[in-house]
Amino acid sequence: MSITKLIAMALAILVSTFFALAHPVVAADRTVKIAAWGAKSGPLRSFGVNSEAVLKGAVKSINDSGGVKLGDGTMAKMEFTYYDSACNADQAISVARKVESQTGALIGIGPTCSGAAAAMYGIFQKKVGDKSDTGLQFPILTDTAIRPGLAKKSQWTFRNVPNEITMYDALFKWLRSKYPNAKTIYGGTETDQAHSRITFAAVIVQKAKKYGFEWVGGGIEGVTGKIIAGMKNVLNVSKSSNWLLADTNFSVQARAFKRSGADMMIISSHPFTTCGMLKEMRRQRIKPKVLVGLTSSSSAETLKGCSAAAEGIYIPTGFAPITKAAAKVAAAAEANGGAADLHSAAAWENAHIIKQVVEATGVMAKPETLKADRRKVRDGLEKLVKVDGLMGEIGRVQDEGESIKPYVFVQAQKGAWKVVHDPR
Amino acid sequence: MSDFLLEFVEVTQTIGDGLFFGTTYALIGIGFSLIFGAMRKLNMTYAAAALAGAYVGLAAFTFVNAPAPVVFLISALASGLIGGAVYITCFRFIPIHNHLAALMASIGALFFIDEIVVHTTDGSPLTFPAMFEYVMFELGPYGIRGDLLFVLAVNIVSTIGLLYVLYRTRLGLATRAVSQQDVAAQLCGIDVHRTNAVTFVLAGLLGGIAGSMTASAVGVLSPLITVPLTVKGLIIAVIGGLGSIPGAIAAGLLVGGMENAFLYFRGVNERDMYVLLLLFIFLVFRPDGLFGSTVDRD
Amino acid sequence: MSYYLGLAQLIGIHTLLGLSAYVLMLTGQLSLGQAGFFAIGAYSAGILTVIFELPILPALLAAAVIAAFFAFIVGFPALRVKGLMLVVATIAFGEFVRLFFFNLSWRVPRGDIEVGPDSTNGFREIRYFVANGWSPWEITTFVWTFVILVMIALWWMDRSRAGAVLRAVGEDELATQSVGVNLTAVKVTAMTAGGFIAGIGGALYAHTATYVDHLTFTVLLATFAVSYPILGGLSSVFGTLVAVIFIQGVLVEGLRFLGDWRNIVFGLLIIIAMNLKPDGLFDARTTRILRRAIGLGGREKSDA
Repeated sequence: MSITKLIAMALAILVSTFFALAHPVVAADRTVKIAAWGAKSGPLRSFGVNSEAVLKGAVKSINDSGGVKLGDGTMAKMEFTYYDSACNADQAISVARKVESQTGALIGIGPTCSGAAAAMYGIFQKKVGDKSDTGLQFPILTDTAIRPGLAKKSQWTFRNVPNEITMYDALFKWLRSKYPNAKTIYGGTETDQAHSRITFAAVIVQKAKKYGFEWVGGGIEGVTGKIIAGMKNVLNVSKSSNWLLADTNFSVQARAFKRSGADMMIISSHPFTTCGMLKEMRRQRIKPKVLVGLTSSSSAETLKGCSAAAEGIYIPTGFAPITKAAAKVAAAAEANGGAADLHSAAAWENAHIIKQVVEATGVMAKPETLKADRRKVRDGLEKLVKVDGLMGEIGRVQDEGESIKPYVFVQAQKGAWKVVHDPR
Repeated sequence: MSDFLLEFVEVTQTIGDGLFFGTTYALIGIGFSLIFGAMRKLNMTYAAAALAGAYVGLAAFTFVNAPAPVVFLISALASGLIGGAVYITCFRFIPIHNHLAALMASIGALFFIDEIVVHTTDGSPLTFPAMFEYVMFELGPYGIRGDLLFVLAVNIVSTIGLLYVLYRTRLGLATRAVSQQDVAAQLCGIDVHRTNAVTFVLAGLLGGIAGSMTASAVGVLSPLITVPLTVKGLIIAVIGGLGSIPGAIAAGLLVGGMENAFLYFRGVNERDMYVLLLLFIFLVFRPDGLFGSTVDRD
Repeated sequence: MSYYLGLAQLIGIHTLLGLSAYVLMLTGQLSLGQAGFFAIGAYSAGILTVIFELPILPALLAAAVIAAFFAFIVGFPALRVKGLMLVVATIAFGEFVRLFFFNLSWRVPRGDIEVGPDSTNGFREIRYFVANGWSPWEITTFVWTFVILVMIALWWMDRSRAGAVLRAVGEDELATQSVGVNLTAVKVTAMTAGGFIAGIGGALYAHTATYVDHLTFTVLLATFAVSYPILGGLSSVFGTLVAVIFIQGVLVEGLRFLGDWRNIVFGLLIIIAMNLKPDGLFDARTTRILRRAIGLGGREKSDA
């Protein structure tokens, strides 16, 4: 009896703390609150850690220079809370609902993972002002989640992630002139990761073809025509040179690469399998003239996994510490225990974009104006045409909620990413 | 004709590569088989502990640049320790016939260990050292990975060692006695808890070897592979016949070879479905596994 | 409020997932394949409302029947194996289903876009609820109607002869068989019922989340499915509910204030709980005490 009573008491305490914590007392002072969330547990933890570290630096820099100017001229501090959503759709949705209904956050930055974002965007109101649509009415400005074409799902969701279509277009154009003798390409991707797969089949291979690189063993029908049909064909011809996210044995794929004898080889996957594949290629002594990787692998993780085997791989990226501002962000992220890369650096820009929008739309940041403020922020985000980014001006694709970001091409050289071409 | 020959070389090399890589699967399968054989309980933590051991070894590599054999040794020891800790926290104090509670506790331990690894490394893939990493032996048109030959050698040595302990020592006798009839063993004066703890440590040591061998065969270590490795280990333990060590080895090689063959002929998206079909075939037609072990599988 | 309602929906759906494993566990079968039936329910219901534009209720029931049908088929070969072999067999089944949906692409044009499952890209736009103006309250009520119906059905079954038979099979198969119980019928029925319940859960999940892809239905989800009844205890259906609230409400959402430590504590608390209460949080003893506390009349009241 006594043990049961004890457990009952413990449960009661847990439940009451849960409710107490879930209902934070809304502070009387006026602050610009941001809610951010991402993977801070599970194998993709680095996404959340990096994003939080960058955001922390960004908010500090904004507050150090006076804060954000509200609609009535008051200078308010910016504040952010970071939640863990573990790259999990349920948790991302749960956090979105929580910050929308339980906190005074004006806008959310999250949930770092494309799969979680694809699910989360679905619970938002599709068209602003549509009374029959009961989706969430809360603006989101996502960083990190890069899978093409996600944000247009709802008018409340926006993204600030690199645009791979323009990046790879420019990359192959540049590679064409740098390697005039390279004629053929071959490659593979992790087919269970939507981002790697779509980018490989619908972007990389098609752009390479556009600039005259030919897929080994004949043309891929329809690649330059309809994207969907072309994509299926690319995945079909490369089916035994592809792999899955957690694969460990790459001998068959590497031999397919070797057999192809292509001048240019493409590895469209995340750091773990990129490393596995690169190491197997080294074992089998495969040395293509040109190696091209996926944007997501232009991070520190690839170098931690296989700096020697990655030597020479080209990747386009939306972040490199080459400008003064970017170097500052890289340093700030490191001081906060993370790293700034093409994914996380966007969190810095997002904080500044939010500041800009709040100031432009006259947000009041009072508890009673919360709903109106959120709407103002959303409308402000939609109106944005251009914003200052770390690498230069970021263009906005308004009706899709996406960004066109400046980019550079980096190459792995002696264990570091070196900027080899800067088209800005 | 030469086209046919080329294709023949390609196919045999593909399957051979898979068989070789299968040695890493075999090691994990043996561990699952051993613990199930000894305790008739499922330890879901096994693969996670094996990889956690490899991470401890990796720390020695990263911080004091320890040579690969030392890294493997540390991995084995660390995983053995973790195995002992898992026994104490998830099996020792839970009533012996409550299989579900022990299973659940080991699932909790799986989450716990995995999350510790993720928190220390931020989930980033990390370089793992290997012996003869980029050595490739050329035999006519064929190539054989040097590092996998080393894995194979380690596999053989550790299996012989394991069989020796099980069949030639008092400790092994006690383990087998407990696995066959725990009550009778207890009546004969065998300390069941102690014996089980030792089995866990032993399996853990083997797991550490398996974890570090897997990591060195990939060349990269990541928490991404914990769950797939758990599933693969279980599948191999079943195909090999629960409790059968030679069966687990053969099953590991078989699965490795099949994966590569189906990847080559049918592509990656369908590959794993065929491996699962193989398992179903075994479950329906040969539930005792490859070598029809005598262990009662209930 | 929408947060608590969302959480209540999630708890309801996971309760169904847990109950689908609970039914099987009564007969002594541990299945790590419930995520597979959940996936079949989710995709079937999604396809029915999105591609065939059916209303939610017929779609949901059809999805549950489809999942039950597959469970029925799986039930026969699963009879041949027990214990760890069954665990591995069901894991393999779940993975097979996941890989099937990973390969499934079924796109139909709808206006200027294409809808339907799109292999790796997932199945998007399962927006029946929001598109038809259902409020969070209505969705939550809808979800919980099914949870309560299933709980009542199982509770009632548990107290009838059928429940006694199920539990007897779980306790001692041979003895039960020797008194004339048809083992095949009992086990396959339990499997089918489990598939049906998981199918309802999956159908509701797809529509509340609006998006599913194959990575939703991994071994991890199957592990959660069996975790609920084990952690809650097999003495009654409420154990599963209590465990879902404990895991999803307290450990996942309630411990957010722990920040980085939340997931580490998560595993630790499960280990501690199992050591302290090996028969589950809501074991026979707790049930007895609770029943005494509400004055023995707990039969009808406790469903509320």
